[in-house]
Amino acid sequence: MSQFLQATVYGLLEGGLLALVAVGFSLVWGVMNIVNLAHGAFVITGAYIAWKLNTELGLDPYLGMLVSAAALFLAGYLVQRLLINQVVNAPIWMTLLLTFGLDLLIVQGLQLLFTADFRAIKTSWGTEGLALGDVRVPYGRLAGFGLAVAVTVALVWFMTRTRTGLAIRTTGMDRAAARLMGVNVRHVYALTFGLSAALAGMAGAILGSINTFSPSAAGGFTLQSFVIAVLGGLGNMWGALAGGILLGLVQAWGGQYLSGTLVNAIAFGVLVLVLIVRPAGLVGRPYYEARAEA
Amino acid sequence: MRSAHLRFGLALVLVLAVVVGACGKGGDDEEESGIKGDKLEIGAALSLTGSLAKEGALTKQGYQLCQEKVNERGGVRVGDKKVKLAITYSDDKSEPDTAARLIDNFNDDGVKLILGPYGSPSTEAAAAAVERNGQVMVDSSGADDNIFTKGYKTIFAVLSPATDYVAIIVEAIMKSANPKPKTVAFLSADDGFSQTAAEGGVEAAKKAGLEVVAEESFPEHTTDVSSALTKVRDEKPDLILGSVHVEEGIAIVKQSRELGVTPMGFGETVAPPTPDFREALGDAANGVVGSTQWTAQVKGQDEIFGTATDYAADYKKRFDADAEYHSAEGAAACLALVLAVEEAGSADSEKVRDALSGLDTESFFGPIKFDDTGKNVTKPMSAIQIQSGDVKTIYPEDQAEAKLQWPGTGG
Repeated sequence: MSQFLQATVYGLLEGGLLALVAVGFSLVWGVMNIVNLAHGAFVITGAYIAWKLNTELGLDPYLGMLVSAAALFLAGYLVQRLLINQVVNAPIWMTLLLTFGLDLLIVQGLQLLFTADFRAIKTSWGTEGLALGDVRVPYGRLAGFGLAVAVTVALVWFMTRTRTGLAIRTTGMDRAAARLMGVNVRHVYALTFGLSAALAGMAGAILGSINTFSPSAAGGFTLQSFVIAVLGGLGNMWGALAGGILLGLVQAWGGQYLSGTLVNAIAFGVLVLVLIVRPAGLVGRPYYEARAEA
Repeated sequence: MRSAHLRFGLALVLVLAVVVGACGKGGDDEEESGIKGDKLEIGAALSLTGSLAKEGALTKQGYQLCQEKVNERGGVRVGDKKVKLAITYSDDKSEPDTAARLIDNFNDDGVKLILGPYGSPSTEAAAAAVERNGQVMVDSSGADDNIFTKGYKTIFAVLSPATDYVAIIVEAIMKSANPKPKTVAFLSADDGFSQTAAEGGVEAAKKAGLEVVAEESFPEHTTDVSSALTKVRDEKPDLILGSVHVEEGIAIVKQSRELGVTPMGFGETVAPPTPDFREALGDAANGVVGSTQWTAQVKGQDEIFGTATDYAADYKKRFDADAEYHSAEGAAACLALVLAVEEAGSADSEKVRDALSGLDTESFFGPIKFDDTGKNVTKPMSAIQIQSGDVKTIYPEDQAEAKLQWPGTGG
């Protein structure tokens, strides 16, 4: 029993981390219909910024993540404004190609800058934990999970309660109508992309303090985000959290009761299953799933 | 008018292409022995990008250092003349299929002498192409025993086989640990090399009287091994042995702390000797036992690198970092190939192959002598332990810098 509980707690926490990585990816996909293949590269960039701040200045990753987020917000805003906006009306292949190229560029750049060595941001408290009977709850992961929930709640509030958030959602629903209502679509798109990059940077800083990373991990994060975004569903800010937690739990249980080498097969199996039963994802809006951007 | 120009231009390009192509071919035919001008041409397909970029870069450093040392000495003696060693690198992007294709490309260019790619999967794919093309390859880092069960005649590996990787750790710990561990859990990545290494370890553990309480696997290069650790936690193993790469190796120690898994000690392949392991784990790395193909305490010497200590000093001077085993493997592979060419007095792939199969020499890397399958079976592996943040060789005894500190956790 303690083994099941431990696996469940750990899976839940892992799910929070997965959600933290995926939330920005889900946001730009849902609002802008852009599948950002450079998302994982943004995550890793955030991790390197926080790592550098930690090794040079001894800054805790939870402070470093703010710097990562700010730097990536700026980068993301500029990338959207200067690059992706050029092809945003073109067929989806163009954005896929562009972000794929961007991913290669960033990953190779990071490798040149930081080499392919594996890094980790050390904290004195990360691997310590609460012991609830036989079940251990490591602080580092607990904090990451808390952050994922906080970020999601903040995002929901931002999207439903602020003018900018409403403008972003409006643009996502109908670009032409939004423009007619006086929304500056280019700015809103860049803002959304910047926000997504900032969330990726934040996630990178936190993941860097829990796991090891190197530039080549970028592709894995993008793939994970893709699965989680589809699982959770698009167009709902809770989607990534729901998808992440489901994936985390399923992987943890799968690892306990099936073979540990099957985690990826299990993840994609669940994805297929969810798509059969609920094509819009766990909490997604059918509108987003059926949308074909003109 | 414009289109006439264009057509003329195109025709010119075509003619030039044919002429250049023909010249290229002519060149190849004249010098089929692998020596072009005063250069001995050797090809290496390495993981310069992708998931194995780090290890690929280290292997390349070994090849580079070898080329520089050989050329400093005047080059490679082939018969009565001396030629410069010229290694051409291409990037297999850490993909085995690409490695095999690059080997074919080398063959098309008339390059018959090959230095191995990084890692067992790429080496296995490259080996098939080398054998088919009649090239010859010295393998620097493909340790999976599978590579050597296919009856290949042109693949020679300077390193100890995968089955030794975990077995040497078991040997080192059981020899001097006090109190002796009684139970052991094996955690392995699911790639061929790690699985083979774990099998060798299980066998050695049973022979040493240890009870194997669990054997768990997870995907290679994962940073989350919590499922496996949760499963073995209730068994309370005295010893946890990981047959892993760097990421999984770090994760085992880190997540054991998180989950409250507390054996007497950890032993892991590949990860512990790397600086990444010590940097990522800090104090938690102390006490972890690891295995390595090479340490600077290895006995033996050769005419190009001198002793292991000389090699380490040269490496430090050239790359401003401490010498570790991946690059030493690369340098040793290159050394074996150079010695074989000199012995054969020719760069002809068949003659070099025969010279390699008869090679029997001491080197900075330890003894190099291949059995029928191409494995270097005479070379022992070494065991190390992280002690106060430093890598110390603890086994075999004739290389030992320090004694095993036991229990290996909690320091």
